[in-house]
Amino acid sequence: MSVTAAGPDSTTAFASQRGDRTRLMLFAPVAVFGVFLAVAAASTSGFLTTGNLKSVLLSSAFVGIIAVGMTPITIGGNLFSLSLGVTAAVCAMAFTYFLRLGFGEAIVLALAIGGLACGLQGWLVGALGANPIIVTIAAGLLQAAVATWISGGTSVLAPKGASFHLLTSSPLGFAFPIYAFIGATVAVEIVLRRTRFGSELYLVGDSKAAARAAALNITRITTGAFTISGICAAGAGVLLASTYNTATLNLQGTYSYDAIAAVLVGGNAVAGGRGSAIQSFLGALVIAAATSIALLRGYSTGVQILIRGLILLGVVVLLQIATARSR
Amino acid sequence: MPNGRRRDPASLTTPADAASPVASQDDGVEPFLAVTDVVKAYGAVEALKGVSVDIAPGEVLGICGHNGAGKSTLMKILSGLESPDHGSLRIRGQLVQLRQPQDAQRHGIVLLDQEFSIVPVLTVAENLVLGNVGERVLVRSGALQRRARELLARVGLSHIPPETPAEQLQLGERQLVEIARLLGRDATLLILDEPTAALSRGEIARVFDAVRGVAADGRSVIFVSHRLDEVLTLCDRVMVMRDGRAVATEPTRSLDKGRLVDLMLGAAGQELPAAPRRAAEDQAVTVSELSVPGRVDQVQFAFGSGTIVGVAGQVGSGASAILRAMAGLTPDATGRVTVRGRQVRFAAPRRAKAAGIQYISNDRKAEGLFLSQTIEGNLNATRFSRLSSNGWLSPRARLRSAAALASLVGIPAERLRSPVRTLSGGNQQKVLLGRCLRNESLALLLLDDPTRGVDVGGRAEIHRLIRLAAAGGTTVLFSSTELDEIMELSDVVVTMFAGRIVSISARQDTSPERVLREMTQDPAAGSNA
Repeated sequence: MSVTAAGPDSTTAFASQRGDRTRLMLFAPVAVFGVFLAVAAASTSGFLTTGNLKSVLLSSAFVGIIAVGMTPITIGGNLFSLSLGVTAAVCAMAFTYFLRLGFGEAIVLALAIGGLACGLQGWLVGALGANPIIVTIAAGLLQAAVATWISGGTSVLAPKGASFHLLTSSPLGFAFPIYAFIGATVAVEIVLRRTRFGSELYLVGDSKAAARAAALNITRITTGAFTISGICAAGAGVLLASTYNTATLNLQGTYSYDAIAAVLVGGNAVAGGRGSAIQSFLGALVIAAATSIALLRGYSTGVQILIRGLILLGVVVLLQIATARSR
Repeated sequence: MPNGRRRDPASLTTPADAASPVASQDDGVEPFLAVTDVVKAYGAVEALKGVSVDIAPGEVLGICGHNGAGKSTLMKILSGLESPDHGSLRIRGQLVQLRQPQDAQRHGIVLLDQEFSIVPVLTVAENLVLGNVGERVLVRSGALQRRARELLARVGLSHIPPETPAEQLQLGERQLVEIARLLGRDATLLILDEPTAALSRGEIARVFDAVRGVAADGRSVIFVSHRLDEVLTLCDRVMVMRDGRAVATEPTRSLDKGRLVDLMLGAAGQELPAAPRRAAEDQAVTVSELSVPGRVDQVQFAFGSGTIVGVAGQVGSGASAILRAMAGLTPDATGRVTVRGRQVRFAAPRRAKAAGIQYISNDRKAEGLFLSQTIEGNLNATRFSRLSSNGWLSPRARLRSAAALASLVGIPAERLRSPVRTLSGGNQQKVLLGRCLRNESLALLLLDDPTRGVDVGGRAEIHRLIRLAAAGGTTVLFSSTELDEIMELSDVVVTMFAGRIVSISARQDTSPERVLREMTQDPAAGSNA
């Protein structure tokens, strides 16, 4: 972390040093793991090939899009959603089903369902002060229940002849989800940095009491943050459905938890008020790279999961040290 | 220490006499605690400038003095929260050093804080053993209940079963449970800092009974209060502090309220501040029948635009509760508030803001600032909607707005991107005020204790900014517990006691003595001063 902290200091004006350093501290965990991974990658044959790097990017894309969408929830001081994986799977089913109405219509409907489902959760959390963890767990169960009820518990198959070439294409040799991942990151980052909503989200996340006294619209801001997460999760669901050509609730896999891990590894402040979409993007990449290295080295699934666990644990420790220093 | 009993304040700081444990032998009682020539400075500010006092077993010593006199610092030193820079403490003649609260507790000195420290979800019995040094981790429940019952009986709460959840207790009962907790720690000296500030008259009587019971056991009590009637009723002796010194320590029987006020004011009472500005005659802000259950009782007033109104009242007087209610932060408030002719509904800060009201809390850290955010973000916090177009907000617009505000409040523009927590208390408060400046739609600014924890220089700056806001036509309502601030800043002074307004007067028509008297004496108790 000393590498990242020292570099820009010498070039930025004296004035902003302190603020920059605090912000750079948050990238510390990613940087440490980046260096660690670079060493491991260089010594793992087959990692630094174009093919493998593309597959790392692709495998991080689905989790990454959900993680990027989760970021506004975390920044807004509402910890995490525990049901974005379910939302992704439900939206994948909706997308597959609505393909009979047309490709564009299916995408719009799926994103709307995701945004609405999560936006409602955000309203509950913002307006009633409900605990986000409990609300999102409950909402996950409700979504799964409705989806199972409507689909009759079977997988939804894409109608014959439905075309979603775009989503399965690979422009310039990169699979479409990679573009979607980068696009989502840039879009959320712009919303966070360049809109009134984003600016106020950081304040609400920093202190709800102060936001209330300053008469900020906590309900609207929280609803907005959850809506973004729902749209992103739905986007990931659409991509999952087009990849597999079918959709079931099982698509959710461990996406909810993996996305949380990516947000954490990215060094976003769990208590809210600090973080960025780019950090979650990097967090997802680090986890995917570590998994890829473990795979290439022939480690068993158990060891792969162990590595992920160790990375998370390491982040908690490093973040603690970093924030303690920046105070 | 016989010196303390004399009328001559100068003799109080004679260390040779006071330090000698035999000094009090002529009373026949060795003092439990002897404080000698204690000095404490925070940076350049000397909070205590050589204070000496002693307290005998079984004595109730009252300490008076208005804010900044040094009372709290002295209590912190006695309870081990602060160490003196100079001077000594003796307990039963033995020199002691209290480096941390546990040291004080070991010597039998315990502090009952102004803030309640009862944990609502625990039972009364569990609360009674909370935080005791030397308490076993696992307590047998039978023994615990027995002990709790015994402690409760000693504070007149024998009707409360120990297994009652603490949240079911009334405010006064909680206070008594806290006192019982201190007794459970084998306290030989109880320090009660403003114990009655939040209590009703009946509850106060029970606290008094408990205190008298404690003293009858041969334990000592220090009773710090702004309420002169209470001090005169309860205490054996009273020490008056002013400006970091003990200006007098006298038996209560030789004192009355008038003399206490004179002692507290000193020479400051004679200096009159510069003539106040003329107040506008329109009724920009009106309040009628404003009540907050348990805090504010049927308050009404009307003030013109550009008027600075000082609401003078001690902690618990309702001064800050009025401001919170008008800011929409108290859901159970009732009454009518109009701002520039429009009625404002309670219970939602956003409604208050829409009516042109902004509020700055007295708790800068918890309810004012966004501590991890930049100074820029904190200055702009309430104006992102005005700076943005269609929801888009350019960094340049943010910076331009923040730079203008920063120069207005005197914070260097280079620091805009630093976290606000890197600023001093005074500068943090200036950031909060800056948030409210340059805002034409701001009709009413509510400031709860605007210079709490701010040094003298910062205070003058903050007063300048408040006058600046008022000069722009904003009505300013500020609460303060500090007499100097009230007299210096207000066009109109409202004095409050126990949730009611005692008087409303233009500043030139009142005097520091009158304001202090109205802040500290129960008007219902009649005047025997």
